[in-house]
Amino acid sequence: MDAPLIVRGLRRCSTRRFLAWMLPWAALLGVGLLAIGLCLVKGLNQTNMDNRFAFGLWIFLDLAVIALGAGAFFTGFLLYILRRHELSAVINSAVVIGFLCYSGAIGVLMVDVGQPLRAWFTFWHPNVHSMLTEVTFCITCYLTVLAFEYLPIVLKNRQLRRIPSFLVFEFELHKVMPVLAGVGTFLSFFHQGSLGGLYGVLRGRPFAFRDGFAIWPSTFFLFILSAIAVGPSFVLLTTWLVGKISGRTLVRPGVFQLLARISGWLLAVYVAAKCVDTLLWLNRTAPRTGAAPYQFYAWEPFGTWVLFVEIVAFGLAPALVFLSRRLRARTGWLVGAATLACAGVVTNRFVMTIQTLTVPTLPFEPYMLYWPSWQEVATFLAVVAYAVIVYSLSFRYLALFPQERELQQG
Amino acid sequence: MFPGIDGFAWDTGHIVFLGAFYTVLLAIAATVSLAAMRSRRDFRLHHEQAIRWQAEFHDLPASCRRCRHELSGEVADRTCGLGFDCRRCAEHARLLAARSGGLPKAAVSDGVAAGFRVLADRRYHRGHAWVRREPDGSAVVGLDDLGTRLLGEPDAVELPPVGSRVEVNGTGWTLTRNGVRARILAPIDGTVTAHGGPDCGWALRVKPDGDGADDRHLLAGEEARRWTAREAERLQIALAADGVGAALADGGVPLDDIARAITPSELDAACGLVFLEP
Amino acid sequence: MEGKAPAKARFGMVIDLDRCDGCGACMVACAVENNVPPARPSANDRTGLTWMRVHRATGGGPQGGDAVFIPVSCQHCGHHAPCVSVCPQNAVDVNPETGVVSQIPERCLGCRYCMAACPYHARYFNWWDPAWPAGTEAALNPEVSVRMRGVVEKCNFCHARWHAAKAKAAAAGKREIDPADYVPACVEACPNQAIVFGDLDDASSPAARLAREPHAFRLLDRLGTEPKVFYRSEREWVRRLGEADVAREAKEA
Repeated sequence: MDAPLIVRGLRRCSTRRFLAWMLPWAALLGVGLLAIGLCLVKGLNQTNMDNRFAFGLWIFLDLAVIALGAGAFFTGFLLYILRRHELSAVINSAVVIGFLCYSGAIGVLMVDVGQPLRAWFTFWHPNVHSMLTEVTFCITCYLTVLAFEYLPIVLKNRQLRRIPSFLVFEFELHKVMPVLAGVGTFLSFFHQGSLGGLYGVLRGRPFAFRDGFAIWPSTFFLFILSAIAVGPSFVLLTTWLVGKISGRTLVRPGVFQLLARISGWLLAVYVAAKCVDTLLWLNRTAPRTGAAPYQFYAWEPFGTWVLFVEIVAFGLAPALVFLSRRLRARTGWLVGAATLACAGVVTNRFVMTIQTLTVPTLPFEPYMLYWPSWQEVATFLAVVAYAVIVYSLSFRYLALFPQERELQQG
Repeated sequence: MFPGIDGFAWDTGHIVFLGAFYTVLLAIAATVSLAAMRSRRDFRLHHEQAIRWQAEFHDLPASCRRCRHELSGEVADRTCGLGFDCRRCAEHARLLAARSGGLPKAAVSDGVAAGFRVLADRRYHRGHAWVRREPDGSAVVGLDDLGTRLLGEPDAVELPPVGSRVEVNGTGWTLTRNGVRARILAPIDGTVTAHGGPDCGWALRVKPDGDGADDRHLLAGEEARRWTAREAERLQIALAADGVGAALADGGVPLDDIARAITPSELDAACGLVFLEP
Repeated sequence: MEGKAPAKARFGMVIDLDRCDGCGACMVACAVENNVPPARPSANDRTGLTWMRVHRATGGGPQGGDAVFIPVSCQHCGHHAPCVSVCPQNAVDVNPETGVVSQIPERCLGCRYCMAACPYHARYFNWWDPAWPAGTEAALNPEVSVRMRGVVEKCNFCHARWHAAKAKAAAAGKREIDPADYVPACVEACPNQAIVFGDLDDASSPAARLAREPHAFRLLDRLGTEPKVFYRSEREWVRRLGEADVAREAKEA
């Protein structure tokens, strides 16, 4: 029924089956929009955040999703600046995912702040000493860049490209794409880092506070490293997942191998840097602020096992798998390692946002925990549903994977 | 941020930070504006057709973009980088010079390649249109046997208006069958002077540009026969049933009306491959 | 943004923990003076607005069961105030004349980054729209603006009272305020007079004198925030509560 919209030569499931796939996600989005409506109308008392847990599930989600979305800029950098042409097989998908990650994060941020209509205040009264100002400016600019990278993909839809002005504009945009990719890389470098800087500068929170270089705490550099290390893994994981769900072969195996190798090397460097940073933090930085490091992990739900899991199980292990030619040739190991790497960056963001707030700063305060309310969880799931819906539409009607047609013909 | 806000003062931090951001924003705006302005210029200079072909050629699968010299066995493995515009290709000129006698002489007789007729009085374009020079200096243009058999009896034909321009690799004319629109690429540059029809055996009469003798991008003779055979192979592979893999007929004749025997979506995919539309 | 000129005065507090009996009069007086709205029924101790908050800590004595009450408000950090540098909208103002750190609620976006930054947990968020039951709005203090939902608020050393003291001094033709005219609500309300308030830079003020005594301490000194709220106690275990690494019983609240 919608065949004229589908890329010529590609096989997609029937319209009915597509609608059946979309329906539950649309329902989830609906529930999420209801929760968002409640939060915007009634106020943030709809969440379980409180004065001790000023940041909760949403901020964790924002950081995690932006870290995973780093695959967009990094793949663009590798393709347009370093000229690794094999990655043209996944760049479109990576850009769409990046766009969805950043737009979702900004959407949630607008619900998270107490006064969303004042969002422009950061631009009008910027505090140039604050990491959050930098983050705000950067992700706004970067979302613009991502929109202009997504636009050509949309304009190349089978029916839209028949409009001459769209086709010509797409052609000209594509010619300047390396400039946008470069700007995107510059912006991403800074905001991935500043998201780490958000926590590293908190001198009031010895759990998060780090020394660093000039105005940038070590978490600035660690966040950039972890983001670019896991970006290719997430691209790999999503490509594999989409291939599995749709039942199609989307890229040649060599593409996965390249992504895995890049991820592996960067992960290895990140794990080494993280170990050094952790040792410095536990032995120098934290004791200097008067905190006893053993107390950071004294409370059972967040014992030292968290540190071990983050660095070894979710960091070192996938790095070793990716660097082993024998293991990464096997899809099970490859995808498993990619999943672990993504879990690692998600765990790291969780530790920095949630675990930081559980640790008391005053000696007469207890450790505290928080569980998100259903409105918070529904909002989170709304972002996931939004991403799945838009990605599904893009997969069906746009040429996300240039190699798919050749691989289909066998 | 601006003067008048209580307690604000410019310092180095502000200049560096805000300077960096507005530079970035300016860069983004300038880049996108440049693309927009170039688009307007492209329209003014009537480059849409050329751009459309360049974009579509780029999106074609590699199997559609094989160099004619690879098909004729002169080179091992070469993908065309110029949109089949051999008139501009240095490699083509070099290989022609190496081949004694320049352009291959048109074959003396008509031929058949994989069941499809390849006629001696015309030259073939990679998009399956052909050109025949008439004694009066005009050229007639039509669809070749493979294209005609694939589409069968079209449900609708859209020809460019008399007096309009056609350009090589731009839109020639459009045929519709079973809901599938096939755009036939124009094989020469020129002005349309008359419409043809199934009775005439041609689609358009064209007054060529300039001296109109530049046929370097067109195929004839043995080269055209090899190419037709290869195209027939590509068509059969595309139409092979799911799960069978690549299958080629080992005998028989092609149907007069292939479109009647296949589903619209198969016809759609086949037209894309044959008429070079991604 | 931090003020460029050095503070002409540095107002601070010294709270005698040996006198505080945890009655909470300071908390009530603060709420009344600063138009803090009554808590909604679903509010709890983690979502309520308590610009001044009395904590209870145990530790000393023969079995470690002795208790002490510690009133904690904004500590008005003097140096590298964590909340000032992190606010993306410059909604935290440090008054160069008084050293008081105050919040600009009209500019606050409600991002709560300052709340994550404050180690004293002295900042509070309006999780609800402020609502006063019918008739109670007549008891609002006209000198203090009310805030809206979704912004952060905190102790500002009853800044309105400083403005009132300045106005009074100006009316009398004087340039300096009379210290007796600027007394925050909590100081005024304490039945045991446990809180002493004054200019820490004025050597003759009781607050400055008490702050320099050996039994005075500050919370989380080693963070380098230079808070202007001092505490004092004869009991050593109480003074040790200023250190973050005091062993505590790890439990969930």
